[in-house]
Amino acid sequence: MSQTDDHSGSDAQVHAVPRWATLVADALWAGGCREVVYVPDNPLSSILTALAANHPEVRATLATREEEAVGIAAGLYLGGAKPALLMQSSGLGNTLNAVGSLLVAFQIPVVMIVSMRGDPGEWNSAQVPMGRAVAPVLDALGVQHLSIDREDEAGEVVVSLAQLAFGTRLPVACLLPRRLTVPVGGGRS
Amino acid sequence: MTRFDAIDLTRRTLTDEPVVVSLGHPAYELFAAGDRTLNFYTWGSMGLTSSIALGLALARPDRRVVALDGDGSLLMNLGSLATIAACAPPNLFLLVLDNGQYGTTGGQPTATAGDADLEAAARAMGVRQTATVRDAQQLELALDASRQSPGPWVVVAKVDESAPTVKPPLDCVDIKNRFMAALNLEADSRP
Repeated sequence: MSQTDDHSGSDAQVHAVPRWATLVADALWAGGCREVVYVPDNPLSSILTALAANHPEVRATLATREEEAVGIAAGLYLGGAKPALLMQSSGLGNTLNAVGSLLVAFQIPVVMIVSMRGDPGEWNSAQVPMGRAVAPVLDALGVQHLSIDREDEAGEVVVSLAQLAFGTRLPVACLLPRRLTVPVGGGRS
Repeated sequence: MTRFDAIDLTRRTLTDEPVVVSLGHPAYELFAAGDRTLNFYTWGSMGLTSSIALGLALARPDRRVVALDGDGSLLMNLGSLATIAACAPPNLFLLVLDNGQYGTTGGQPTATAGDADLEAAARAMGVRQTATVRDAQQLELALDASRQSPGPWVVVAKVDESAPTVKPPLDCVDIKNRFMAALNLEADSRP
């Protein structure tokens, strides 16, 4: 589609939900998630917008910090829900002991949707160290993870991870690379 | 009032309430006061007791949910008070066992040994039902009040350290499975 068609709708463009976010929201729904706990960033806001628009039965709970969000998600699971946890990769760094000593140790499944910083497309050097650490620390904790590398695989990746999580009682992580979530040349976080 | 006194008194008032308890001495003494399958003993994730209880209260509005936290633990996760106030689950009762020290790790003082005031913190974050209690009679009154009017409740119990002599089961997965079974939930909930 030509960019030149959309000059009149710049506000609408900013707020339009990208297709990948709609697919992730639909897949969370299909995977059984009716509870979402989050600490926001820009790409994740698109998923929350898609959930609110297309799956209003899903409750979204805002946490002050990602480690706290792990605790809330664990409690939701103990109460019978299938929780998803939305956070930025920087926030994953805030969760690590909770992921290990609560989710992994107790076999509490949570689908973590991790919006990446510090990967190709990044502009902020402070985001790079934790961004590079995401996959190694998830591996070290024994948390399986997949990245959505193409928009058209978004639904399949999230549904398969949700099945792995809730079927086998394990936390899992779905990584959203910046090449997916931020238009080339974009600088928003 | 020792921490064990406060836990034992609270434990005696329980019927079908699930309890989430902070790791270390609070968990040991809840077990000593009488094991229940509806006790969720944490063994790690220090600071998250109130958050786990919040999630449980949101998922199960039909049940009163009790959280037994420590002052050192809650100080690690003060943002939880803001989230509890914002979500405002009427069925959440958070009891902070405030002995002014990190009892499990050797008794190093916490900030509440100085001027830090966790009830004031809860109120400042928007929790309206709060109390600070200093003896068993005041705790009983607060427990009664929390059954009469909706929460979320945050009650800070000023307690003396006590010496736990037993520990709860160590098998985390078993703790979770028996807890969820007692809530009539199937832990293996396939999509």
